[in-house]
Amino acid sequence: MNVLIVEDEKSLSEEVRTFLRSEGYICDQAFTGMEASEKIAVNLYDFVLLDVGLPGYNGLDLIGEARELGSEAAFIVVTARGAVEDKVRGLNLGADDYLAKPFALIELLSRMQAVARRKFKIQDQNLVIGDFTVDFQSRKISSGGAEVGLTKKEFDLLVYLVLNRNKVLTRQQLYEHIWGNILDDQYDSNFIDVHIKNLRKKLNEYASTPWLETVRGTGYRVSLQ
Amino acid sequence: MARLRTKLPLFNLLTKLVFTSAFLLLLPYIVKRVNLIQTDNDLVRKREQVISLISQIGIEPFIASDSSNAFGSYNILRDEFISIERTTRNEDINYIEETKRLIDNEQIDYRVLNYSLNINGKPYILSVGRSMTSIQLAEKNIRLVMLLFLAFIIIITFITDLLYTMRLLKPLNRIIDKLKSISDPSSYDRKPVLTSTSDFISLDKTLIDLMDNIDLLFRKEKETTVNISHELLTPVSVIRSKLENLLIREDISPEIADKIEESLKTLHRLQSLINSLLLIAKLESRQYLKEDAVSLDDILSEVAEEISPVADDAAITINKNFNDNFRFAKANKSLLFSMFYNIVNNALKNTPGGGKVEIVTYLADKTVIAGISDSGKGIPQEKMKTLFSRFKERGNEGSGTGIGLAIAKSIADFHAIEIDVESEIGKGTTFLFRIKSN
Repeated sequence: MNVLIVEDEKSLSEEVRTFLRSEGYICDQAFTGMEASEKIAVNLYDFVLLDVGLPGYNGLDLIGEARELGSEAAFIVVTARGAVEDKVRGLNLGADDYLAKPFALIELLSRMQAVARRKFKIQDQNLVIGDFTVDFQSRKISSGGAEVGLTKKEFDLLVYLVLNRNKVLTRQQLYEHIWGNILDDQYDSNFIDVHIKNLRKKLNEYASTPWLETVRGTGYRVSLQ
Repeated sequence: MARLRTKLPLFNLLTKLVFTSAFLLLLPYIVKRVNLIQTDNDLVRKREQVISLISQIGIEPFIASDSSNAFGSYNILRDEFISIERTTRNEDINYIEETKRLIDNEQIDYRVLNYSLNINGKPYILSVGRSMTSIQLAEKNIRLVMLLFLAFIIIITFITDLLYTMRLLKPLNRIIDKLKSISDPSSYDRKPVLTSTSDFISLDKTLIDLMDNIDLLFRKEKETTVNISHELLTPVSVIRSKLENLLIREDISPEIADKIEESLKTLHRLQSLINSLLLIAKLESRQYLKEDAVSLDDILSEVAEEISPVADDAAITINKNFNDNFRFAKANKSLLFSMFYNIVNNALKNTPGGGKVEIVTYLADKTVIAGISDSGKGIPQEKMKTLFSRFKERGNEGSGTGIGLAIAKSIADFHAIEIDVESEIGKGTTFLFRIKSN
């Protein structure tokens, strides 16, 4: 997949590019609005990561320009403003998702995957983890045909770990993903631990879960070979 | 302490009373003088009447030439008399004296006008008198009438003073009401107060200008906070991405991974701090929308639901007792959720395992109240004042930056909700949210 990273902060752009490359994306960079405008007009992108705080250019205008040119790129708007009106305006103008700075790279990836699934109609296959089967479409997890009763939060947590399998997710990343960050002063590592504990307890009634690992001091990981 | 509209008429009343009392002290003397002058004039008039009568009908009807040499006439109550008598002395007399007369064995004080007459070559003395009792009675009556009149004038002028001052000061009260009703300079009513008093017009205008200036300064300051926060978030974002990318690399040792992990945690603290400040600044500059119609009970239920896994884990019971189904017509649901969540979360942290947290709603005095109580150790009195200040940690048990309650307060202010805290050491703390319902 082709990604255009529109970001005036060069070092941030570099980091995002490094990360997305390691995830198999092909990345292009634009550091100014003009540059971005030109690149969108010439190249075909699947994703445009758009920082709206570009100096001397309203980043949101780029979405309109791209749409006029018939571009089908998915726009993920990145803003340090995080203001409600920006979010509303961005989505009205055809942005596909919205992410506030500072964001976790893993969260960016997860949003891109979600947008891709929606936009490019990619059907998630059911996934087998140990003795469990995760059905992403109907949002269910079952073992031996019996459905495990999970709360919405528990299921979201599990899916996030599964989609980012084999990576350690920190408690903070998990918390931000599930609860957003409107009041992240409330962030409490205990929260995630309690939910994981409950999740394990519920799953363990059906089968053991050696694949759901606690990484000491850091967070959690779903390991699948 | 009294209001201007009572103070002014009261001062007027006081000065009037002082002058009146001075007048009252002089009153007996004045009345006496006036009355005596009046009486003397009266006596002179009577004398002239008698003289003109004598000149018409002669002296004979009063004094028969030989049988007697004196005439005296008293009215029935003996408060007036006229007497004419022969005298041997041939001199001019014309004077007024106070003297006693013996009438029917009764001594009566009279004020008497003596006047010498010469009729047909014979000298006579004409005396016209009025009793002192009747003079004093008249004096008393005059005094009474004057007193009543003064009292009447004082009461009437006091009432008119009072009414006029009230009317006069109405614009001032309106300006005070305008000032009282605002929580923020931007909401000051710019409509000028209607008055013909130039002082009030100028006061009103000065206040409006002042509010505009303060408002501008406030807005600038808030904008600066918002801008600074944005500027701070970008470098945080850069560092965060760098650290996260480092952590993904497989060629780093566990020790380095630990260090990076710690740095990320510290960075996260910085990030939440900036976000919290940004949130407050945006709340204060009204940058959030209020577009949700939402039930108070629903929000509280959601909060309880959300937090129940943590409560269950600590064996804390959350009791809900909803007695009012208030709905916010225009609110920001996620902000309200955060506010209540913050308080309930605090309550949980402050409640020992096995304890309970109560969430109640009820209506009292047209005010909808949401109460969140814990059975924790309570908040010491000295900490109550700074409870909602930024960066004042409530206790060392909290893991936040101590800005949570400041945020809750800002969100409450944004929705015109008042927060009260009641706390008893050893018993627990209750946060009361007062929502004015119309």
